[in-house]
Amino acid sequence: MAVRKNLALIFKYLKLNIQKEYQYKTSFFLQILMMIANNSFFIIQWLIIFSVTDSLGGYGFNEVLLLWGISAGMYGVGHLFFGGAYHIGDLVYEGKLDVFLTQPKNVLINLICSQSSISAIGDILYVFVVLIIINATWWWYLAIIPVCIIGGLIYVSIVVCFQSLSFYIKRGNAVADMISTAITLFANYPPVIFNMFTKVILFTIIPVGFIIFVPAQYIFLGFNLWWILGMVGFAIFLCGLAFLLFKLGLRKYNSSNLMGGRV
Amino acid sequence: MNKYLTVFRTSFKQEKDAIINTLLRAVSFVLIIYIFLQLWGYIYGEGGSGTIIKGYNMGQMIWYLIITELITMSAKVNTIVRTVSNEIKSGSISYKLNKPYNYLFYCISSSMAKSCMSLIFMLPVAVIMGIVFVGLPSTFVWYQILPCLLALLGSIFISWSLYSIVGLIAFWVQDAFPFYWIVSKVFMLLGLFFPIEFYPAWLQPIIKYSPIYSMMSGPATLVANFSWWGFLEIFLSQLIWGILVILLGLLVYRLGKRKVAANGG
Repeated sequence: MAVRKNLALIFKYLKLNIQKEYQYKTSFFLQILMMIANNSFFIIQWLIIFSVTDSLGGYGFNEVLLLWGISAGMYGVGHLFFGGAYHIGDLVYEGKLDVFLTQPKNVLINLICSQSSISAIGDILYVFVVLIIINATWWWYLAIIPVCIIGGLIYVSIVVCFQSLSFYIKRGNAVADMISTAITLFANYPPVIFNMFTKVILFTIIPVGFIIFVPAQYIFLGFNLWWILGMVGFAIFLCGLAFLLFKLGLRKYNSSNLMGGRV
Repeated sequence: MNKYLTVFRTSFKQEKDAIINTLLRAVSFVLIIYIFLQLWGYIYGEGGSGTIIKGYNMGQMIWYLIITELITMSAKVNTIVRTVSNEIKSGSISYKLNKPYNYLFYCISSSMAKSCMSLIFMLPVAVIMGIVFVGLPSTFVWYQILPCLLALLGSIFISWSLYSIVGLIAFWVQDAFPFYWIVSKVFMLLGLFFPIEFYPAWLQPIIKYSPIYSMMSGPATLVANFSWWGFLEIFLSQLIWGILVILLGLLVYRLGKRKVAANGG
């Protein structure tokens, strides 16, 4: 019951955020289209790289593009549904959380769903553009949806975990921004180019391994049930950890007694 | 000229306070170069030691990437687009239009100060990273330091001038940021990731005579593979593009100013 209520809240917020942005129609559609174009530019980067090498440890052009697709999907889900997660630190620093604390909803969900990045719709659409380019089989179009949702949840959870540092240290959100940037940087390259030390980092602090490499390698390019279950388990664990760390941090929160309202 | 130097000095002092942001950008810088090192290490590694790809050895390739990334990181051009765009959108630009300076030059001198502060911090990071990861470029000579620094400053100046024009597009559309994405990606693809020799033959002269060469490829190639002829080429290119971009900026600003009155500022 609680899950259904929270899901309803997430979609209600999404609808309101989209409606809010849609009043500037030109800007709304421009942001989406430009994001698709922005992502598409990187296809050229890989065409040039594959003009000097045939493959990167078994990863050819199509496989790399698949990584880009999953990466854009998880980024899109994270920023469209949970855009507020990236601003937790700012709100804590400025003492502006009060308005969320007084509402009869889960504080974290209420907070992270309160903002949406419209350009993220372009990221989500880009996933399907990629699948068309690489001539994917029909079931990839279906399987990519849960993969992007799980990836997005891991991405947002790790951001919330690090943003929660803001409750303890000044400008703790800077670390979260750093981790978020690192995830998007590492996500677009085949795992084979990284050495063992980097791979350990990519399956722990910067969990690109679970977000991108596992689904690419063990759902689309091959199959391994244990890795898939590991990915789902990691997502559940990280979501729980995000709720726990945020809740613990909230006890340290000091209000700045700012008067505010949400319309 | 003096008033723009004052703007430069004030912004330089302000930027000293944003040291944490600069530090974080330095960490991002190291991460990006680390990824490139792994990627190109893998590609060059497959061909064995001493591999040359399109005239570049592994060391020269990494130095090229370090310099283009250094220019991107130091220039921080997204801030000028955001500032100009937001000031136009919110109407707060009207407070600056009646001041005794040209708004475009004000933005450029203020932003150049921020970039110089950033460059002071990032340049040692870049040099240390290059030496630790791949050693000095094989063609390095000590007297290339000054011409390379001049080329770096020239590239940052052109970057700011050009991106301020992108910000001014906000006079006509609500948000200039989507245009920034596209322009920055074109520059990134044709200048940041690869030296000019990596592109198809028909594209190479287009890049060479575009501002991309003055802003990215030129200075980076100069560091990776120095020659006085190369320096002269880049100096002339930066001089011509610098003048052209400033003139274009003044024209766009002059046309755009009329739109502020239409919006009520």
